[in-house]
Amino acid sequence: MPEVPSHLRAVLVRLGVLAAGLAGIVGVAVLNRFAHLGLAPTLLLEYVAVTCVIWGLNGFLFRTVPLSGLSLLVFSAAAFGVLFLVAYFVGAIVAPLLFDAAGQFIGLVHLTDFLFYAFALMTIAGAAGCAFSRNIIYSAWALLFAFLGVAGLYVFLGADFPAVAQVLIYVGGILVLILFAIMLTKQIGGDPSLTNAHLGLPIGAALAAATVGTLAYMAVMTPWKEAPSRSYEPVSAALGTAFLTDFLLPFEVASVVLLAALVGAVIIARKEIKEQSDAVLE
Amino acid sequence: MTSIGLPHFLIVGAVLFALGMVTVVTRRNAVGILMGVELILNAANVNFIAFNHYVEGPGKITGQVFSIFVIVLAAAEAAIGLAIVLAIYQTFRTIDVQETDLLRE
Repeated sequence: MPEVPSHLRAVLVRLGVLAAGLAGIVGVAVLNRFAHLGLAPTLLLEYVAVTCVIWGLNGFLFRTVPLSGLSLLVFSAAAFGVLFLVAYFVGAIVAPLLFDAAGQFIGLVHLTDFLFYAFALMTIAGAAGCAFSRNIIYSAWALLFAFLGVAGLYVFLGADFPAVAQVLIYVGGILVLILFAIMLTKQIGGDPSLTNAHLGLPIGAALAAATVGTLAYMAVMTPWKEAPSRSYEPVSAALGTAFLTDFLLPFEVASVVLLAALVGAVIIARKEIKEQSDAVLE
Repeated sequence: MTSIGLPHFLIVGAVLFALGMVTVVTRRNAVGILMGVELILNAANVNFIAFNHYVEGPGKITGQVFSIFVIVLAAAEAAIGLAIVLAIYQTFRTIDVQETDLLRE
């Protein structure tokens, strides 16, 4: 291939980008014009437009990995899929939140909804990071975000005391304990892929998909008997009263369980010292 | 008015439970398995508090009481579980659950 002068190459690239943008605009216009064509031709036209855009951007953004032939088509299909998902998300999920039934823009009235989705996303992303990260340190840090997201969800449900307990006990206690256990049991600096290996991930993913499907179907389809009103009052006083009246026996049993766990954990973890003292006695 | 309802929280709980289950089923590191158990307990807590808020109604906090008990037992479980993990590590010099298949040293 003959060497093209660099300034001519830049001009050509800009022309290609311009052509690609025009192709995209024309494609959108054509789509709106021929929307009655049906789903398959519409999707095909969209795919062709995206391919044009990618082809125009080719050599400009992707200079290190030049796309040509089949790889261009495959990459365009991937980009088209992402764009389609984004458009679907905006059209079907975000737009109904921004506009009321009459088509009026209502904006941030649904800010709490967005906050809920932010906390839910944080929780699920943290849990997914914990489940799928190859490095167990990253898993532990992802768990931090899952715990904090769950605390935020508690606040949404009017449960202030459990939210604070979640932050104090899970983040401040259990997560620190887990990090200590990781540091004590693993040679830091080894191959990260070996520190948190997976076993049968496809089967696990299938199991998770089946579980989520079943539980989500149950959650959506069951006609729950919802209470007529909701309260967002502080619950600490009511919780204290409940612990010392209705739930006194479980409360006392829980304290005994905690004591037993404390003593048991110390005895189990101090095994080597015990053996040493046995050896000294012998 | 907000459009977030009980099913939203139940679905978050379901996803959390499923991811915790995947962690428990697929991890070979014992500490990773304990992390999955914590995720499952959190999912149960989300459901407890969501039902308390949406179904039980104002003035009743049984679900929150149970969530506190779950948190207490999770703390106890984490302490004991990690102590057992440390004991296993002292004995076998590994916490890969595929290799620690003996009850004696």
